[in-house]
Amino acid sequence: MKKIMILLFVSLFSFSVNSNAKSITLGWAAWDPANALQELTKEFTAETGIEVNFEFVPWPNFADRMLNELNNKGKTFDLLIGDSQWIGAGAVYGHYVKLNDFFDKEGISMSDFSPATVYAYSTWPKGSKNYYALPAMGDALAWAYRKDWFDRPELKSEFKKKHGYDLGVPANWNQLYDMCTFFQGREIDGQKRYGAAINTERGSEGITMGVTAAMYAWGMEYENPNKPYDMEGYFNSPQAVEAVEFYRKLYEDCAPPGHSDAYMVANLDAYKSGQVAFQMNWYAFWPGVSKEDSGGRVSGFFANPKQNVAAATLGGQGISVVKYSDKQDLALEYIKWFARPDVQQKWWDLGGYSCHNDVLNSPSFPTSTVYAQGFLDSMGIVKDFWQEPTFVELMLPMQEAIHDYVVNGKGTAKEALDKIIEEWVEVFEADGKL
Amino acid sequence: MNVKKKFKGLSDKAVGWLFIGPTVLLLLAINIYPLVYAIKMSFTNFYANKIGREPQFVGLKNYIKVLNKEAIWEKMQVTASFMFWTLLLQAIIGLGLALLLNRKFKGNELLTTLIVLPMMLSPAVVGVFWTYLYNPQVGLFNYVVNFFYDLGSFDMIGSSTLAPWAIVIVDTWMWTPFTMLICLAGLRSVPNYLYEAAEVDRASKWQQFIYITLPSVLPFLLLALLFRGIENFKMFDMVVELTSGGPGSATELASINLKREAFEKWKTGYSSAFAVILFVTIFGFGNVYVKVMNKIKER
Repeated sequence: MKKIMILLFVSLFSFSVNSNAKSITLGWAAWDPANALQELTKEFTAETGIEVNFEFVPWPNFADRMLNELNNKGKTFDLLIGDSQWIGAGAVYGHYVKLNDFFDKEGISMSDFSPATVYAYSTWPKGSKNYYALPAMGDALAWAYRKDWFDRPELKSEFKKKHGYDLGVPANWNQLYDMCTFFQGREIDGQKRYGAAINTERGSEGITMGVTAAMYAWGMEYENPNKPYDMEGYFNSPQAVEAVEFYRKLYEDCAPPGHSDAYMVANLDAYKSGQVAFQMNWYAFWPGVSKEDSGGRVSGFFANPKQNVAAATLGGQGISVVKYSDKQDLALEYIKWFARPDVQQKWWDLGGYSCHNDVLNSPSFPTSTVYAQGFLDSMGIVKDFWQEPTFVELMLPMQEAIHDYVVNGKGTAKEALDKIIEEWVEVFEADGKL
Repeated sequence: MNVKKKFKGLSDKAVGWLFIGPTVLLLLAINIYPLVYAIKMSFTNFYANKIGREPQFVGLKNYIKVLNKEAIWEKMQVTASFMFWTLLLQAIIGLGLALLLNRKFKGNELLTTLIVLPMMLSPAVVGVFWTYLYNPQVGLFNYVVNFFYDLGSFDMIGSSTLAPWAIVIVDTWMWTPFTMLICLAGLRSVPNYLYEAAEVDRASKWQQFIYITLPSVLPFLLLALLFRGIENFKMFDMVVELTSGGPGSATELASINLKREAFEKWKTGYSSAFAVILFVTIFGFGNVYVKVMNKIKER
């Protein structure tokens, strides 16, 4: 009994010592780059003595968990790597600390980071000089394909005979469709294979991120560039309608059976288990996919194909200091460390996607990995969903209407887009924007 | 003795209040206050995420909006259909199983334990593992169906025709044991002499079932269905894990829609009005049902 009491006392004492040490908590999604960041951060702790605790939330609950925390003025997180679409709410509702003075004081220049990432991850209002985050993780929606299958002479010649051009990286979405249907239901090495694992998830943002990859490539704009929030004829333009119809065709003719509620992990699983020739996913996953190529699997990667224009769906996040944190000074110290070019280089080396120009413009960058060139190409053509403070209200009707049309087969693409505009108008009206 | 001393001088009524006081306070704090607050909010344009924006009184606007929204009626229809089929199936199968287990045979207790296992699982866990069972490529459900009748590849949760059945099947699998247990309790309370008298009167087994078993077990069955009805009206976790309300909105029950409006879109005023409407609906139906049930009991 005495021994137990001593043990309890020692563990309680060590806990209190530990809790007195300088520490901060960083919140992010639970995925491969988060593990890389955890590894990288060990150097920060070694340099500064500041412990960094991590709370990684699975993607399906990430937005719910973090936005609830911010709305409740929670103090759980000192630093938050939040989605690009949250920047509006973070700034307008005062969840994030404005970083301009800090950047000026510490000599951190936003011109050292890729302009597309600064625009997307840091600024509010968009394109202004008000910074609420440091670009932390560049990302865009892209494609991986089974290069080993594509290199097989018998498949190459059969494809060329059928379509009149080479089986390889698709130059546009029509070619992507041809290739997907070519593999759909085909038996390779005694197993039935399918075309592509694409985003169809209903609950959070999956199908929207997927369908917009097509819509952007068809030239869709959310609003009249000269009249903000005027969406009629832009978001539901004939090109946008065609893109949504195309996405449904891709789902119906090329997706594996049961791929009706799939996003990041489900796409990865379908690809890794050898079911599909293509998978749509974020660059964040390519280091893992590339590293895990085995059993004859060789992966190739390419940026979102163009159709009428070259465009890709933006992913990625900036790192922000939470306004409600009691340890803002320590959190800012982390940002100062993270912004250093040498740290950014290590970040890329560990599997994170740096947005720093020193890393991206390095002559060795495009050949540093098989997906580096694609990443550079994508970051020059990215487009994002609304980053308004009301982005969740804008996302949900799109998820429902697009899923209803693409997966459920209900109504027409035009009706789906009209319905979304109707809901968006209501949201903007309630927000005083219209 | 001490207790007696302590309460000496207090009237019976005061002692009564002393005992129920904490419960009443707790009820007021976690049930009544939120309800009153939600009713108050339902008359405003409050958004819980818009910090610093004062809610304004909008009268009945939210109620009118909810009742005039076509999408809401679609969700109510989905909910009604889900409730109808789950309750019907659980009543029939639950009663059937109870009749079976009411007989004495070897392994009766083991079988009862196995049957009640599903209702001991967490609904979220059930939702997750049924997504694997329904997988068209590797799912056991599709394999079993195809074993008996070759339907080829079909996607239970990706098809708007099949998805509503997918959630009905899972709920029935999970909660039929509950109905069965309540019915079994009813069956075991029927005195044997009734059957003995019926045998003497040469009543057939069917007549015994219609005139003795069914009337005796009916109040129990109705009670079980009341509990299941209330639970299924607010069904959320299992369906979210299984279909996320999809495909499209084919399985988006009223409760899922309410959660999305309240805690994802943060339309607090609007969703409060929706919640009040749902509360009044279930409260109204519940009351009518209890009255009917009492009449049946009195017969």
